[in-house]
Amino acid sequence: MSSDAAAIRHRLEALWERPHNSWGWIATVDHKEIGIRYLVTAFAFLLIGGIEALLIRIQLARPDAAFLTPEHYDQIFTMHGVTMIFWYASPILSGFANYLIPLFAGARDMAYPRLNAFTYWTFLASGLFLYASPFVGQAPHAGWFAYVPYTLKQYSPGLNMDFFALALLFLTISTTAGAINFVTTILRLRAPGMAISRMPLFFYSTLTISASLIFSLPPLTASLVFLELDRQWGTHFFDTARGGSAMLWQQLFWFFGHPWVYVIFLPATGMVSMLLPVFSRRPIVGYTWVAFSTVLTGVVGFGVWVHHMFATGMTQMAMSFFSAASMTISVFSAVQVLAWVATIWQGRPVLTASMHFALGFLAVFVIGGLNGIVTAVIPFDWQLTDTYFVVSHLHYVLVGANMLPVFAAFYYWLPKMTGRMLDERLGKWSFWIIFIGFNLTFFPMHILGLLGMPRRIYTYPAVTGWGTLNFAETVGVFVLTAGIVVSLWNFFRSLKHGAPAGRNPWNADTMEWETESPPAVYGSETVPVVTTRHPLWDDFDEEYDPEHDRAFTEGRVTVVTSALDAVPIAIAKMPDDTSTPFLMAVFMTVLFTALLLKSMGVALGATIACLIVAAVWLWPEEERRVRI
Amino acid sequence: MTTTIAERARVAMPHGVIDDRRGTWGMVMFILTEATLFVFLFFTYYYIAYNWRGPYPPEPPKLTLALIMLGLLLASSVVLHAGERAEKAGSTELARLLVGTTVLMGIGFVVLQTIEFRHHLKELKPTTDAYGSIFYTITSFHGAHLVLGLLMLTYVLALPEIGPGRKPPHRALHNAALYWHFVDFVWLIIVGLLYVVPNIRR
Repeated sequence: MSSDAAAIRHRLEALWERPHNSWGWIATVDHKEIGIRYLVTAFAFLLIGGIEALLIRIQLARPDAAFLTPEHYDQIFTMHGVTMIFWYASPILSGFANYLIPLFAGARDMAYPRLNAFTYWTFLASGLFLYASPFVGQAPHAGWFAYVPYTLKQYSPGLNMDFFALALLFLTISTTAGAINFVTTILRLRAPGMAISRMPLFFYSTLTISASLIFSLPPLTASLVFLELDRQWGTHFFDTARGGSAMLWQQLFWFFGHPWVYVIFLPATGMVSMLLPVFSRRPIVGYTWVAFSTVLTGVVGFGVWVHHMFATGMTQMAMSFFSAASMTISVFSAVQVLAWVATIWQGRPVLTASMHFALGFLAVFVIGGLNGIVTAVIPFDWQLTDTYFVVSHLHYVLVGANMLPVFAAFYYWLPKMTGRMLDERLGKWSFWIIFIGFNLTFFPMHILGLLGMPRRIYTYPAVTGWGTLNFAETVGVFVLTAGIVVSLWNFFRSLKHGAPAGRNPWNADTMEWETESPPAVYGSETVPVVTTRHPLWDDFDEEYDPEHDRAFTEGRVTVVTSALDAVPIAIAKMPDDTSTPFLMAVFMTVLFTALLLKSMGVALGATIACLIVAAVWLWPEEERRVRI
Repeated sequence: MTTTIAERARVAMPHGVIDDRRGTWGMVMFILTEATLFVFLFFTYYYIAYNWRGPYPPEPPKLTLALIMLGLLLASSVVLHAGERAEKAGSTELARLLVGTTVLMGIGFVVLQTIEFRHHLKELKPTTDAYGSIFYTITSFHGAHLVLGLLMLTYVLALPEIGPGRKPPHRALHNAALYWHFVDFVWLIIVGLLYVVPNIRR
């Protein structure tokens, strides 16, 4: 029997292992490898964006400072926003989703493994494209929301905003492909028996945001295309004198922009819904409520975009509607918060480092939610729009609901990924330093906003009296950075000195903990059968398979199940390792660079090259090896 | 206890049934996101109308050619559907013929659109005003999507074998056909909103 199992493992390894050379490194389609690449790259963007934040805060530490020039300041604060919002906050969640979702589901890879590789390479390439801009001294400089008319040619003649528009368009391709991949994976590749009522809550959040991305990215694409056409080809979309409208940009951008907030936020809360019950030693309270409110947040998220534009002038009716919608959406967040609190209340919480971050998230997120609700009240919003109060709100929400859960998730899942435990004491130290630094940085912004300090300013005169609080904030951001460095050191240290993690160090309930740490390249030897929401907490043996009916050693295949009940319906053939996704990303980089420089001949050539690569990519593979 | 529970683990595995739907799922979602893009292009068309002073559009576009092009595309969808049915029925040669005809009709559309643009550009340019910008953006976006659809269909013709002999997940013809119908449908909307409505109003 055991020699049987060894033979199966051996066979699976031969099937799924990629060649260990540089071609294999480029050609791999393994979701675990791609997931880790996502995490590393996005974390690098977090550090870059963090350094930009330090520079901004040094400039703002004292009144009338000239640490940076105004032009450099504009570029750095724009790059800080763009990097954090687009190249860190969402990709880091894609990293976790990529790594974890197939493991949660007991599948052997994502639904479209090659598209998955393509998604990563284009994410990386678009990031490199964006970060080429500072090296030619022309980084984007009009804020991450890039309002016209500031961003039109006559006010911004350089390549700055072309870099912005094209890099984002490029990233949009990557994000759309990723969203489609997650939807199909979640709906079709779940383990037999993992009906929609038994899915981990992380599936609900990722499914919600993926679906909402499919409908919310097109307006961004449209607005960026219009911007490029206006800037480079002389059209008049945003030109009021020729019948265009500057407000058109805001409508399209925020129609995309608000669902994007939930894209950044929901998967992070989904991860908290996974780990917080484990450390409370009980199932989550109100699973159904949390699942429903997750989906509803995504839906109602489409109806609130105008609250970014209350100060632009509109009818009473429109303002009332969007104000009400914005307050409604907080109900769904409140349901989740109450479910977490009740879970802790009912459970026996274990204060691990990961749990510290999760609890810190709860505290910060509630503050961010409350200062968000008040800005949904229109008179209050008019008073505070474009002040530091809003900066404070968005950082409480985005850092609170993204970065802290991400750190909680790192402390929770890194042992699975690396096979080594992180140091708990260092983790707790890191948490407290981050938590104190964070609040020291962002809490005073409430007061500064109420005092009237406008956001996006380069400097301020001493008579305003804003100097002291600003100095405190700058101290805070250095403290916050120190906390992140402690965690980073902890991560690297664990790789060598961490205690071996074993399969399930936290005694957790979901399927990823059934695999070895780090998991074998094929995931688990047997495709599991799931009968409850907490497969590892029940007394049902998911992997029981005496006849090796579910080992699937005949080729790279995985089981396809029905969308709702997860009844196995087919066997999916999975592709081999291939370098076409990488090549596609390379030619797309050429295409976008050509568009930036307006050399249309090169652009056409690159498009044709992309089409040829696509043709090779999609060419049917031989009916090789797979005999089913 | 353990044995009874373990018994339940014997879920029948669908050995031998190969999944052929993933491609279609991907295509449907791709079409959804593309359709949303067109929704926002139309939104922009009307947003410009909302802010426009004077009659919008200033000069309604000529209808005849657009309607001929519409007829051609709708007919091509019917031909393509017949092709798909032929392929399902196993008459591969007929299927190839019909898909090839669809491609030719699509090329005919591209030719007609080029002629249409040539005439139209004499009166209105993308750089004339915001209406010109959105008019040409919508129509040329559609043109680009149509060319992509053409490339898909041509690619399907070039694949080693159409039909049940080619094992899934290569339900390529069906997926390409979905996209082609989508492109046709978008032209129907474009003709309705951008060509017919302004002419009726006049």
